[in-house]
Amino acid sequence: MQYALHKILHGMLLILGVTLISFMLMVWFGPDQTYTLIGKNATVEQIEEVRSQLGYDQPFLKRYTDYLVELFTLDLGASHSSGEQVGSILKRTIPVSLALMIPGFVLGNLVGIALGLVAVQHRGQWIDRLITGFSVTGMSLSFLIIIIALQVLLSTPFGVNLFPVRGWQVTGLGSYLQFVTVPTISLILVTVGYNTRFYRAVFVEESGKDHIRTARAYGASPATILWKHILKNSMIPIITRFMFSIPLVVISGSLLIESYFGIPGVGKITFDAITNGDQPVLKAVVGLTAVSFVVIQVLTDMMYKLVDPRIA
Amino acid sequence: MKQAALSVHKLNVSVRSASGTVNVVKSVSFDLAAGEVLALVGESGCGKTKTAEAIMRLIPHDIGQAQADTIELNGVNLEALPEKRMRDIRGRKISMVFQEPLTALDPVFTIGSQLSSVYRRHRGQSKRKARASSVDMLDRVGIADSRRIMKTYPHQLSGGMRQRVMVSMAMACQPRVLIADEPTTALDVTTQAQVLSQLVGLGHESGTSILLITHDLGIVAQYCDRAMVMLHGQIVEEAGVTELFSRPQHPYTRELLAACPGAAVL
Repeated sequence: MQYALHKILHGMLLILGVTLISFMLMVWFGPDQTYTLIGKNATVEQIEEVRSQLGYDQPFLKRYTDYLVELFTLDLGASHSSGEQVGSILKRTIPVSLALMIPGFVLGNLVGIALGLVAVQHRGQWIDRLITGFSVTGMSLSFLIIIIALQVLLSTPFGVNLFPVRGWQVTGLGSYLQFVTVPTISLILVTVGYNTRFYRAVFVEESGKDHIRTARAYGASPATILWKHILKNSMIPIITRFMFSIPLVVISGSLLIESYFGIPGVGKITFDAITNGDQPVLKAVVGLTAVSFVVIQVLTDMMYKLVDPRIA
Repeated sequence: MKQAALSVHKLNVSVRSASGTVNVVKSVSFDLAAGEVLALVGESGCGKTKTAEAIMRLIPHDIGQAQADTIELNGVNLEALPEKRMRDIRGRKISMVFQEPLTALDPVFTIGSQLSSVYRRHRGQSKRKARASSVDMLDRVGIADSRRIMKTYPHQLSGGMRQRVMVSMAMACQPRVLIADEPTTALDVTTQAQVLSQLVGLGHESGTSILLITHDLGIVAQYCDRAMVMLHGQIVEEAGVTELFSRPQHPYTRELLAACPGAAVL
């Protein structure tokens, strides 16, 4: 309990630091809306007026604390391009992205772990080579080809034509499955090569440990060694990879999938905000990404403690 | 002569490396009599550990290959046994204590879980029965509050305690043969003596023959009946301990003795 409190306090400080840095980057290198809003041939007074409307004339510290307050009250202002409240944009898009990404992300990791276990169990034999070859092939294939090929095979009359090629009109479980299947399969295929290679390497490393030799020297069967000793000892890298992929997958992974399948998720919103210089949306996404990384960091630390008694 | 507990005939081990296969154990043959403590002496890298692993058939295929005319444990040729039967023998009829007890024990399982798994695996005991047997065994290796130790993890114990736990795992099923691979090299001198006395004492009680791998001639003089000297994967000399120390035949043995002045006096 004290450990948890300590970690949460630590996490708070981290959030302050991370948001400060990302805010500084946005202020210095981010889009400046002034000239977009006023057009050509503006007078100095007009420029000053727009700048003060946008809050650019405030001192840095004031702008940063305002930003923090916005972030924590989730009152993030209105989007410059659509006028919609940022809070409501996020409320609309984040659940879509999560519903879209979670199945593929979880299954992709599970398939990677399963293939890694099979490969290490048959290490050096043909099945291991097959899996390793398969994952290298998977990594070398461009995601473009994988996604387009799957769309052609599953969503057009050239293939089985069972699923919608794009869009997200989800009303219930049936329509959810309709829309989520092809993106999920794509995501699994795109990530499985990387996942398998990573998990195989983790299991190979663990299977070479001294205590594995001990277990064998005391008559443990290959199944016991794999499921009990290797898997439990691999939990730290597994948790690390899984947890720290979450923000990346939700933001950048969903950007990829959403743009190919025309799905209105948070990835698409972010992409539009970057190209339009829509600073309120950008600030919100960058800030929330930073916060989610810190939250995940704290959760991950707590999970480490559950799986490894050496962590104090 | 009595039937040997362990009889190894022409054991060869080759290990794969970047530059091809290297023969690290060359045509090693020896007999370990029932109840005997036999030393295998030599410098690091001379093939002692690989000999031990080969007898236990623990060398993974992707690392190297072990091959022998016969390895007889109590008259049963281990070389001819299928891997499944071999697993029933490891830890029950022949067991092993490793050099570095911190890494040799699984860091994420309690001492109790690791020790009682030996009883459950080989004696078919229930969880509760195995726990009770484990506590008894820890008492026998001289661990004071064995009930508390059962709940600890390897990193919470001292080196000496960890190695005692290892010894208790090795002796849990009163094996015919125990291979102790540098069991005290990682320990300080006083703990060394305690752990070794315990090991040899327990072996004596249950009639276990011990193959003690070491580079410490002091240990050989104090605890062993016979000794074999290994050099570059071959056994160059084999003799009773008194004879070895008083009349070393091979130049390498003389070198070893000269390098260890304390032992020469014994």
